[in-house]
Amino acid sequence: MAHIARLDRATAATVVAATLMASAVALIFFYVPSDADQGYSQRIFYFHVPIALTTYTLFAWGALNAARYLWTGREELDLKSYVPMHLGVIFGSLTLVTGSIWAHISWGTWWDWGSRELNTFLIIFLFYCAYFMLRFSVEPGARRSRYSAVYALLGVGLIPLSVLAVRIAQDALHPIVFRSNGVNMDGSMFFTFCVALAAMLSLAVSMYLVEMRGKRVDERLAQLRRLAREAA
Amino acid sequence: MNARALRALVRKDLLVELRGREVVPSMAVFVGAAFVLFRFGLGGTDLAGGTRAATGMLWVAIVFTALVGLSRAFAHEREGRTWDGLLAAPVDRALFWAARACSTFLFLVAVQAVALPAFWLFFLQEHAGPSYPVLVAAVLLADVGIACLGSLLAGLASSVRAREVLLPALYLPFSIPLVLTAVRVTTDTIPPQTSGFDTLGRLGFLALYDTVFALLGWALFEYVVED
Repeated sequence: MAHIARLDRATAATVVAATLMASAVALIFFYVPSDADQGYSQRIFYFHVPIALTTYTLFAWGALNAARYLWTGREELDLKSYVPMHLGVIFGSLTLVTGSIWAHISWGTWWDWGSRELNTFLIIFLFYCAYFMLRFSVEPGARRSRYSAVYALLGVGLIPLSVLAVRIAQDALHPIVFRSNGVNMDGSMFFTFCVALAAMLSLAVSMYLVEMRGKRVDERLAQLRRLAREAA
Repeated sequence: MNARALRALVRKDLLVELRGREVVPSMAVFVGAAFVLFRFGLGGTDLAGGTRAATGMLWVAIVFTALVGLSRAFAHEREGRTWDGLLAAPVDRALFWAARACSTFLFLVAVQAVALPAFWLFFLQEHAGPSYPVLVAAVLLADVGIACLGSLLAGLASSVRAREVLLPALYLPFSIPLVLTAVRVTTDTIPPQTSGFDTLGRLGFLALYDTVFALLGWALFEYVVED
């Protein structure tokens, strides 16, 4: 019964995500007006920023579960910490790609070393990659779970420090000329942005549920194999 | 009790280093060779990018030199199998981290006592360089952060396969905010572009970095040595 309930939850989340995503795409391309300064291409904002926010959310989620794992030692929390980190890498890559495309359109360069957001994100992305290297260098088991959790929690220190460092390193030489698009949005733009954000977050939730299900099946299979070997 | 245990642990690290001379000499040779490489990399006779580029390189050298030292942190505990003895001691496990951070800090300072004059000799003799008090303050503050975080990560990497390649990968993302700030705080004091305005704030950031990773190191190390 528990399996059926879980399967339903993942399917339901996927349906919600698909509906929201379709609405978001429709709103972005057919409803929202073009930006006065940047024109049509500014629409990538409705993808880029929600993806970036989803990446931060996934990281916070993973780190929270990492802390809970260290606190309680409950095994399933390790997976609940790992899967958001894994999805975070996917969304993080997308953030870098969409940010880079946007930079190319607005500023004529694929990467702007003066952009705070891009540079902060690059540090976080490297951190995510290192998390994976650590995780896959340790044999599965309690030690791997602990090490992953410790490293994930170090990221809680790294992310605010990176945001701050990128900010204070640039103040003197590089005046911030790029205005934030999030500040002065009119109603229709803000509505579209909210739908796009909801779509990305629900996509992340459904991917999380699907991946968790896969990982649990893997675990169950490994258990069965062990049992079969012992019986033989 | 804790202070005594900490002193004993740091003394052990220093004695091991004094007898074996494994870490500090290698770090010193590494940083010297790195400076020579950077000097040629920046064009040899006429320094491309001036002392500004050289100061940036200094910080890269500091981080990489620290990694050379950190790769041997906990090596004796692992190779000599002394962990079990240490773990049997009735002290807080965070003390092992604190002791390692202290000895790493001392190793870094010892290496930099040679490296900074060498840096002056190689790069700053004929050109105006950064303000020395700011440079020394930034280096000391950076050392604390590197030692605190590096000791925790070295603990993570020490019992993992491929630890030599893993430690730099684990550490380098964390060094970016440090280097970013340290480079700015020092290059901003190079004439003619001295600003001095943000110097204190940026040094304050380095102190914040130290505090954050000191707290995290203290809180998390016990999970690194649990078994």
